[in-house]
Amino acid sequence: MNPAIVYLVELGSGAILVTALAVIWRHSLQAYIGAFRLQSFLLGAVAALLSQLQGSLELLGVALLIALVKGWFIPRFLRRLLARVGSGREVRPYLNVAASLLICGALVVVAYSATADLVAASRLPTRNGVPLALAVVLIGFFVLISRRQAITQVIGFLVLENGIAMLALMVSYGLPLMVELGVFLDVLIALWIMQVVVYRIRDTFDTLDVTRLKGLRH
Amino acid sequence: MAWWIALFQPLLALLLAPLLVGFIAWLKAGAQQRRGAPPWQPYLDLRKLLAKEAVVSRHASWLLRTTPGLVFAATVAAAALVPAIAVGLPSDNLGDLLALVSLLLLATFFLALAGLDPGSAFGGMGSSREMTIASLAEPTLLMAIFSLSLGAGTTHLGRIAEAALIGGIGLHPSAILAFVAMFIAMLAENARLPVDNPSTHLELTMIHEAMILEYSGRHLALVEWAAWTRLYLFLAMLANLFFPWGIAQTLAPLALIGAAAALLAKLALLALVVAALETKVAKLRLFRVPELLSVSFILAFLAVAASYF
Repeated sequence: MNPAIVYLVELGSGAILVTALAVIWRHSLQAYIGAFRLQSFLLGAVAALLSQLQGSLELLGVALLIALVKGWFIPRFLRRLLARVGSGREVRPYLNVAASLLICGALVVVAYSATADLVAASRLPTRNGVPLALAVVLIGFFVLISRRQAITQVIGFLVLENGIAMLALMVSYGLPLMVELGVFLDVLIALWIMQVVVYRIRDTFDTLDVTRLKGLRH
Repeated sequence: MAWWIALFQPLLALLLAPLLVGFIAWLKAGAQQRRGAPPWQPYLDLRKLLAKEAVVSRHASWLLRTTPGLVFAATVAAAALVPAIAVGLPSDNLGDLLALVSLLLLATFFLALAGLDPGSAFGGMGSSREMTIASLAEPTLLMAIFSLSLGAGTTHLGRIAEAALIGGIGLHPSAILAFVAMFIAMLAENARLPVDNPSTHLELTMIHEAMILEYSGRHLALVEWAAWTRLYLFLAMLANLFFPWGIAQTLAPLALIGAAAALLAKLALLALVVAALETKVAKLRLFRVPELLSVSFILAFLAVAASYF
């Protein structure tokens, strides 16, 4: 076990959590996409470091896929979506930034206390990243439920997905390549469907505010 | 010998601080396609200001006259507590993290008080804003360093750096949260760009500059010098507490020279980051500043929480 690599993995995990929090406190959708892209690259870097630790080429392939699909393709896809529906800001989230941040702080503490026993019992070199990964998952969920804009909810879904991938990396050095390929395909298809839904919402309601979906058009 | 090094550290802070500020301004000018003043410009400013007489408003009390010296003294005292080139110095016993933050806050407090003293509108506005920001940024600073001291088991800054050096590279992963938190606190405490613009005197937006409008001559020189030293202290803390590599653990001359070189390199790197950031971001609206600071506070809080688990 190379301690330098383990240290870099832990540092990268911390940085991934910071990018997840960036989604909470920034206001523009562009910034969300930027934060997600950075998060994906960091996740790819962590996976690449773990592949060094493991000596597995398969994991390196997964790392490259993460960087390519989530770091390059999906942000590009989202930017296009944004350019077409043209909405730059998340207006009126359910909670203001300070309250959201406090809740996310609490979520991180919950993640730590929930995984405390696991971390204490584990002998994995990556055990310190487990609570951080769970925290990213919870923050992704929180973005999903606390925002009104359809695109922000898509970002929340993607952050959640990154968190799950990170959890898999931390607990078991990632899943086999075949499973990862399946997951990527799922994410891409889900994104595709969401794009269609976003267009439909936009065309029908002239807004991306999903709370309006409860009311009738006329 | 150890005491000489301990005395040399604040001196080094005073000597390097103008160069650091000038270097950041010079980098920014370069990044913005301007020619800009040379990096040593602040030294020339200091010489010019020190040679001029200080004009004090007729309505000002003793407060305005004593504040520059007090602010300067508090900052120099704070500089004695921050490890710059060596650890294990006797000056560690002089005070810990809480003493450092109190000294910095003492300077802020008197500066804000003296801003109110001459009764000018801008001074009062600057003081009010400075207090708003300081009340949010100081706890962040405290919490961010606390997260390190929990790992090291001491609140003395020199010993935190020493513990990190002895423990190899074993900083807790939460250190990155604390680093980001402290970086934001650094920007807020030193009137850097997303919070305050250090290079303008625009009435409606200035914070730090509004408080020091009334100073002139040698008073202004002392206040400015103290502000630059404060920036140096924050950057030195960011460099040496989070990345303690290169600090001398013995007092051998070669180790000290190496440590000085490492410190310069780390400061230059941080200056580059600050300059790049200040070129990239625009100033935040005043009412969004508390949001930014609450982000940094949450990050610092998480860093502390993470070091408990």
